[in-house]
Amino acid sequence: MKTITVSFLLNGKKASVTSLPNRTLLDVLREDLGLTGAKDACGGEGECGACTVIMNGNPVNSCMIFIGQIEGTQITTIEGLMEKGEFHRLQKSFVEAGAVQCGFCTPGAILTAKTLLDNNPHPTDHEIREGLSGNLCRCTGYNKMIDAIHLAEQGGLDD
Amino acid sequence: MQEFNYHRPVTITELKEQISIPGARILAGGTDIVPRMRQGKFSAPTLVDTSGVKAMRFIEDQGSEIVLGALTTHQEAADSPLLQNINPALVTAAESIGCQQTRCRGTLGGNIANASPAADTLPPLLIFDATLLLQSLEGERRIPLEEFLLGPGQTDLLEGEFIHSISFKPMIGSWGAVFIKVGKRSGMAISVVNTAVAVEMNDKGKISDIRIALGSVAPTVIRCRKIEQALLGKEPEPALMKEIHKACQEEISPITDIRSTAEYRDHAAEVIIHRALESAVEQAKERGR
Amino acid sequence: MTDRFLTVGKSLHRKDAWDKTTGKALYTADIPIENLRIGMIVRSPHHYARILDIDKKQSLEIPGVLAVLTSDDIPGDKVFGPLIPDQPSLARDVVRHLGEPVVLIIAETKRAAQEAANQIQVSYEPLGAVFDPVQAAREDAPQLHQDGNVITALNIKDGDIEKGFQDADYILEDTYTLPRIHPGYMEPETSLAVWGEDQTITVWVSSQHPFTDQRFIAAALDLPVENVRVKSGVIGGAFGGKEDSSISILAALGAWSIKGAVRLVNTRRESFVAHPKRHPAQIHYKLGAMSDGTFTALKAVVHMDTGAYASYGPAVAAILTETLAGAYRIPNVQVESFVVYTNSPLSGAMRGFGSPQSHFAVESMVDSMAEEISMDPVQIRRANILKVGEKMFTGVTLNETANALPICLDKAQEIMDRFRAVEVSPGKKAGVGMALAAQSMGLGANVPDDSTHRLEWAPDGKVLIHLGAPDLGQGLAMAVEQITAEALGLPYSQVESLPLDTLDRPNGNVTCASRMTYMAGNALIDASEKLIQDLLAHAGEILEVPAKMLVYKEGQIIKEDGTKLPVVEFLGRLAEKSITLTSESTFSFPYPEETTPQGLPIGMPHVLYCFGAQVARVEVDPDLGTVEVTHFAAIHDVGKVISQSGVEGQIEGGVATGLGYALYETMLRKDDQWVDSFTEYLLPTSKDLPTHYESIILEIPEASGPYGAKGIGEIPLVPTAPAVANAVKNAVGVRVKKLPITPERVLGFID
Repeated sequence: MKTITVSFLLNGKKASVTSLPNRTLLDVLREDLGLTGAKDACGGEGECGACTVIMNGNPVNSCMIFIGQIEGTQITTIEGLMEKGEFHRLQKSFVEAGAVQCGFCTPGAILTAKTLLDNNPHPTDHEIREGLSGNLCRCTGYNKMIDAIHLAEQGGLDD
Repeated sequence: MQEFNYHRPVTITELKEQISIPGARILAGGTDIVPRMRQGKFSAPTLVDTSGVKAMRFIEDQGSEIVLGALTTHQEAADSPLLQNINPALVTAAESIGCQQTRCRGTLGGNIANASPAADTLPPLLIFDATLLLQSLEGERRIPLEEFLLGPGQTDLLEGEFIHSISFKPMIGSWGAVFIKVGKRSGMAISVVNTAVAVEMNDKGKISDIRIALGSVAPTVIRCRKIEQALLGKEPEPALMKEIHKACQEEISPITDIRSTAEYRDHAAEVIIHRALESAVEQAKERGR
Repeated sequence: MTDRFLTVGKSLHRKDAWDKTTGKALYTADIPIENLRIGMIVRSPHHYARILDIDKKQSLEIPGVLAVLTSDDIPGDKVFGPLIPDQPSLARDVVRHLGEPVVLIIAETKRAAQEAANQIQVSYEPLGAVFDPVQAAREDAPQLHQDGNVITALNIKDGDIEKGFQDADYILEDTYTLPRIHPGYMEPETSLAVWGEDQTITVWVSSQHPFTDQRFIAAALDLPVENVRVKSGVIGGAFGGKEDSSISILAALGAWSIKGAVRLVNTRRESFVAHPKRHPAQIHYKLGAMSDGTFTALKAVVHMDTGAYASYGPAVAAILTETLAGAYRIPNVQVESFVVYTNSPLSGAMRGFGSPQSHFAVESMVDSMAEEISMDPVQIRRANILKVGEKMFTGVTLNETANALPICLDKAQEIMDRFRAVEVSPGKKAGVGMALAAQSMGLGANVPDDSTHRLEWAPDGKVLIHLGAPDLGQGLAMAVEQITAEALGLPYSQVESLPLDTLDRPNGNVTCASRMTYMAGNALIDASEKLIQDLLAHAGEILEVPAKMLVYKEGQIIKEDGTKLPVVEFLGRLAEKSITLTSESTFSFPYPEETTPQGLPIGMPHVLYCFGAQVARVEVDPDLGTVEVTHFAAIHDVGKVISQSGVEGQIEGGVATGLGYALYETMLRKDDQWVDSFTEYLLPTSKDLPTHYESIILEIPEASGPYGAKGIGEIPLVPTAPAVANAVKNAVGVRVKKLPITPERVLGFID
């Protein structure tokens, strides 16, 4: 099995990785790039969303993407959400609303929420539940995540 | 994780060359293949990654036919206004699959090639008598989807072939097409039983055309021709439940598995066929106005 | 103590939340370590088998493989167990459940470890397995352990059971069946061990009991306890399932064997088959009542399946037994509870710890009795709830906390009326149901339960909490920071909890049993008072006045003449003299002699209770049998809210877990394999939970609690399943006595 080299945009910057092709994006993020925000909670079966990253504007399970498939794409991980040292409004709102308990699902949930708001700036509760349905959480019951997303939507958060 | 040789074509020509490598298999969205490889349930010496083949991602109205590129994602299908007009059952089905993360990766072609008896996009395609265009380095052939599905996870796809596109003819007149699925939970729901029903009503208020497909009641998703026969020419009314019940007894043979029992599937299938039929008739009446 | 609280009761930001939103938070699988080796466990493919031979030769020859370990390689104790030391770290002679660890491989890469795992030759002689605890309790069942399969047989009585049933006008009997469920924490079990110099080892754990891990690791490696340092990574949820040391022992064994660094991470599949679950149970329940609804007698027989190893089985049996009468006065009781080994994966601690099981039985039966007598379900409960000063059947006297019960019922009644008035969706049948709950706090009488914590006032004015028990993700750190800030009159931002490290930390005991905020909170209030006294003593010396002439208030020392001096000035002076201001305090869970009955088995009874009630509105599709919970309300008495958002979060999350138990979750056996993935094991997603949800939080102060606080960690998932079952009965007339309430059960296709 020969290694492959992929070029892509990672958190806004040009990036390149060389890897055996049978490794997933999740493997490469965690093991090669030191980006451990994406988690493995379901054993790489795409059932939990803890490994969610944003790829070309869509939330995707990085555990189910072989590394070759990210060639030429734009990838955003949770580590890339802050801008110029400022927390993203969703990071602030998740903290403010009490939506973070153990936090293991949090990076995935925030990235999914970001794509939701990017495509639908004023979602209903129903649309939020639909959008988050691929992100499992055992701690919160999701209510405060819904609050957090509405809070971010309004945009008016105290620092 | 299994080892494999990896290829990433960008054009259909490259794809044809690479898929003709002995043992080569297509990697599309990866939502079925990657977990199954990890579990040791799927292996291939060569994987041909189609994520760069933009030419196979399209939804086109070609006049007499609607043609869908095999690499169209479920999310793209769910968001398509054209499909909402031509085959709303397919839109409902595509929306109901998995979750956001898997919908924007999973493809129509991948779902067909995976040939799960519970697949959600297959019933809405079967009721429109969808055909597949299969291509290879040697040429191409067309095959009705119904004949392509051979068993659980088994298809008529030959070595060196890939699914290029799926096409079907739109229905005309007063028609309706509805998809219903029963899952064990609302989110990320795998079907316990699912159905797509298309109906065409004549101006006498009777069913002039009816197509019914059911999933999770047989080794493949099936067209239920006995049930169709029993309902053709009839007027939609509550008494039709008896006809559906009788025909189901003869036509379907669900199994008991980890998700549900044969008896429940038998029962639920009848319920959702009836509901989908009622709903399709309503749609047909709307279109008729 | 003032009436107005500065910090307690507010919704504040958790300090650890920021790093969790940026990916900076380091869970045990994230911690970067040099020269890290990979551990991989080879597990039994059989439910029950004799191990005939283990041939390591081929595995050891694979390049990159550093060690292949079996039970023989463990230098110290080969078995461990929190109550009964019956669990081998690596299987020895026999495997008792599918997935049991047999061989530990240490390699340079995942690939090499996997290759070695594929090459290892283990030969087994399969034996006939038993999975049903009733069967396993019989003499003729395969005996899985030396002393037989029944590890606990409780027979708790009160009053005269024969007379009790004679006095009854109505008698109902039913069997309730509870499934095996997975705690479902998102972070699978993980441990990272690094061998140090001079026979020392550092082990990172995701664990509820780091000090216990320390003890077990030391015993397994035959090291003095002081040589084992255990550090807590950020924990991604625990819910009871992380009161098991198997993975930390094995990571440590691996590191010891190569004298290096080893990380072991369980896959989700391994977590399913090899880590503790909730005990499945069969509860046969017989209730007698008079025609006015007064309960006269309860007789129950319980069989609990503890799986291959005991884990916390006997302790779960204790709470299950004690809570079988719920919050009710039943003068004549007999409960026989059996904890039985089977060849299922082991069951142990899981949030609720016996109470979710018992409440499914009692709260379903109470509704059934109400229907039998033609009484309103709230009314029958009113007629029987315990009052302050009355005794539970175990002899425990209830304190003022019992005042919550009538309030819970009042609120439940009001909510039920409101939910009943909601318009029914077309084609559906709606029903409303409720359930009451009693959850114990603490480990039980005669089980040592001390919790020690330390405070340090740093020279910059920050108060550091050396918390002796881990925050599992539920917000323990925030709660104790709020309590300490309150006690010292300081802003919340000035108090910080440090991550747990056994090297320099007092033993706070296990975070479990709805008690750690209560225990740590009490200890820290006491430690705060000591700290203040110490500070005043030092301040007196510095100012050359008697300490009793000085007053401390909200970060300042106030002299007799009214001058206020900031505390930092004194801390600075002390720091110059290398004096650090610290204080330590131990809180022991109270079992007052006057109110704690003696004569029950160890660990019984529990003497401090929390109460609550929940109401569910369901819509059932009468043809498909699908159940949707549309409206839900949770009413819980917490004594005193320490963190508003923390309490709400515990309740909401607990309700979600309770709804999973009610409707979706069960670990079944299919084709001789256990369900072991989230594909088939269904946790509730955001789409599966009620869109209308209300929390009503009561505050009936617990005199012994920090600012009156009680526990909230477990009770929110205790009444949930029976509330839903009662609502389903109300909707379609079907009484489902086996969880989960699936469409197949609602329609009667399966039992």
